[in-house]
Amino acid sequence: MDAPILRFVGLLRQRGVRISPAETLDALRGLDAVSLARRESVKTALRATLIKEGRDEPVFDDLFEAFFSVDDRRRAGGHDHDHDHDHDEDEPAPPTQVKVSEEPPDFDDPSHSHELPADIAKYFDDDQLATAKRLHKDGTRIDLGGLSQELILGERKEDIEQAVAQLRHILHLRRLTNPGAPGKLALDGGEVVDADLTVGSVDHLPSLPPGSMLDEAQVEALRRQVDGVIANLPELLRRYLEKLMALERPAHSKEASPAYTAAFSEEERRRMDALLRRLGRELKGALSARRMTAARGRIHASRTIRANMRYGGLPFRPVLVAKRQDRPRLILLVDVSLSVRNTARFTIHLVHSLQSLFSQVRTFAFVSDLVDVTPYLERCELDEALGMIFGGEVLDIDANSNYGHALATFHREHLSAVNRRTTVLVLGDGRGNGNPPHVWVLDDIRRRARQLVWLTPEPERYWHLGRSDLPAYAELCDRVELVRDLDQLEAVAGSVLRPL
Amino acid sequence: MEPLERFESVEHVVDRFRAFEYVMTEQAATVVYLATRLQKPVLVEGPAGVGKTELAKTLASCSDRRLVRLQCYEGQDDTKALYEWDYGKQLLYTQLLRERIDTLLSGTTELAQAAERLRGQEDVFFSEHFLVERPLLEAIRSPEPTVLLIDEIDRADEQLEALMLEVLAEFQVTIPELGTLSARTQPWVIITSNTTRDVSEALKRRCLHLSLGYPSAERELDILRIKVPDVGEELLRKVVEVVRAVRQLDLRKAPSISEALDWARALTLLNVPSLDREVIEETISLIIKYDKDVERVQHELPRLLGIIDTAAPPTAHAHEQGDHHHGHTHPTSEEEAYHRHAQGYFGAIRSDSK
Repeated sequence: MDAPILRFVGLLRQRGVRISPAETLDALRGLDAVSLARRESVKTALRATLIKEGRDEPVFDDLFEAFFSVDDRRRAGGHDHDHDHDHDEDEPAPPTQVKVSEEPPDFDDPSHSHELPADIAKYFDDDQLATAKRLHKDGTRIDLGGLSQELILGERKEDIEQAVAQLRHILHLRRLTNPGAPGKLALDGGEVVDADLTVGSVDHLPSLPPGSMLDEAQVEALRRQVDGVIANLPELLRRYLEKLMALERPAHSKEASPAYTAAFSEEERRRMDALLRRLGRELKGALSARRMTAARGRIHASRTIRANMRYGGLPFRPVLVAKRQDRPRLILLVDVSLSVRNTARFTIHLVHSLQSLFSQVRTFAFVSDLVDVTPYLERCELDEALGMIFGGEVLDIDANSNYGHALATFHREHLSAVNRRTTVLVLGDGRGNGNPPHVWVLDDIRRRARQLVWLTPEPERYWHLGRSDLPAYAELCDRVELVRDLDQLEAVAGSVLRPL
Repeated sequence: MEPLERFESVEHVVDRFRAFEYVMTEQAATVVYLATRLQKPVLVEGPAGVGKTELAKTLASCSDRRLVRLQCYEGQDDTKALYEWDYGKQLLYTQLLRERIDTLLSGTTELAQAAERLRGQEDVFFSEHFLVERPLLEAIRSPEPTVLLIDEIDRADEQLEALMLEVLAEFQVTIPELGTLSARTQPWVIITSNTTRDVSEALKRRCLHLSLGYPSAERELDILRIKVPDVGEELLRKVVEVVRAVRQLDLRKAPSISEALDWARALTLLNVPSLDREVIEETISLIIKYDKDVERVQHELPRLLGIIDTAAPPTAHAHEQGDHHHGHTHPTSEEEAYHRHAQGYFGAIRSDSK
């Protein structure tokens, strides 16, 4: 009983779900309490004990389906999800399938998979090999799993070429310098090809020998050439790879991996941590002027006397007051275009690490369009989120900066987020490429916010070079600070973030 | 009646709750069952009005346990949540007992002797007597078993969460003046959160997690049937359909079960035989709480009315479908399509899909 659950927990951890040993114990105790005969109660028991964040639930559901599939393996033959263990002890999973889920071989590069057949042969028993003797005829799918790829290509070459042509089309467009928002270009990009292609393999596909329409005999010959024993290797390979993909961490899949990784060097990380710790201490020391009733603090003489009139003026019940800490709110508007990217990276990192010190931090990234990136920063690891922001997956970062448009969008949609507790930080060089600057927006923000600070990576003497609207913006800001590196950011953070 | 010691099975939970007019999913029942068996707190998360607090109340009433409720709010501290040491009372006792102390100490000649004698009476000055119990302490010190409801924990500060850890994991409270007080009876603990902020990891680890969402059409109808029994089946079904359709709109505050209940009750009071445009317009404020949302719903009204007319009944009973001879254009797929469309830009998909 315990072993499959531990393995299940291990797989969940592999997918980034944080599960403590205590929770694993809870899960085991929980399973003791519910009836194992009912799949739903097992699922609920595991979910309630292991999964504590809403965002982990889909991961759990997927894995549970894959891992504890109902035992219809025999009836369905090669069902997609059947590579796993049963929760019932009397029905141990066949060793072949345990093997598959336990040790997925290195699957990062499809070109490696041609080394697999020899290993795989051991994992599938001969019965299954004999029954599923059918090539994969569905032309809409490309499987690039080594051998199977070529066999399928041979059968439905024109379909494949068409699909590949579409792929190339999209790849080509992405190389344009200013293509508009990603995803808007190819809204109906034809069939979605269910495989990850490396550029190398795309190039390789059409260069197969012409007229390689293999007839049955040739296929047969090729099979024998590979290994006479494995009659339906392509089919097996396909299923094997599908299982692997299902078990592989989702982060490895194409959509989730950021194109740009905002890696911080160790030195930067260390200094950032030190800065954060210091800021944390300083912020704790920063108190508001108002004294409030508190559990411990100084005795407020007049209020104590007033409150203790009923005891004949004897101070039984001292009224204590202490200074309360005001936790500021922070709104960050960050230009993430190329010119200020480095500073933006640091600032977003800093501000979001400080999240615990603020009652609210919201971050908006813009180049031309303005996007609220707070959810990304909250839900993903910081590095991953930064990667998505700067990798152009959230907004089009190759557009021309348009401060006016971004500010107007903020004014229209998010101005209500600004109130007297809010500090608004704008980070950018103010170069709006001649678009209307909409300076009035800043005026509005300043009137509502407690503090409006502009951070720019450019020293003042460069402002008039090129077209910068910064002088106009600067007039309206409470302060304009020059921030080019960590030192300066440190200084600014210290003075800006401290509650007044 | 004796307080219920334990639930026998998941079905037992469902039945008991149902007897007390609470319709629960099997998932929720399983979690409640596990919590009572494993003696673990349950953290219930979900939007407002889906019955989180009600779950705790019903758990208390259906098991005949006393409900101890801690309503959380910003700035709450241990003196409001856990216990308070009543210095005033302590002082008063000392004052009033002064003469007695004098007689007690009379006859002693040395200071050390007096101190010794006084030490024998220390319990008078440091006892639970001066402890003002707040809900957390009350729940674990109560002689009869209790259900402890910690309501809307996301409103409380994080310090308070840390304070609860000892209570929730060990069912004990350490008081500097007295030492550690452990539970006389282990309470069943339900913690609710509207997820306005994330509850800390440490607390989550100690709890079982249950997320309650909006109910399925069938369950919602079931709830309405039980809670508002004197309304016709037909009307209830329409109420459910409309509320579910409104939920699909992009509103600031989507109506939950409690709003649906209010609405159904109001319709009974108004003696409305069936839902039509006029009735909806007049009473929509019962389920929609913001002006902008009302506008939005007014705008969508024709479509909503269309849903009432054409929707298939949410229950599977064939005889109830009798008077619906229209084609079954079920709203769900249509609405999903609408939502996809409204996402607007590429980057929104990820955030909205959660």
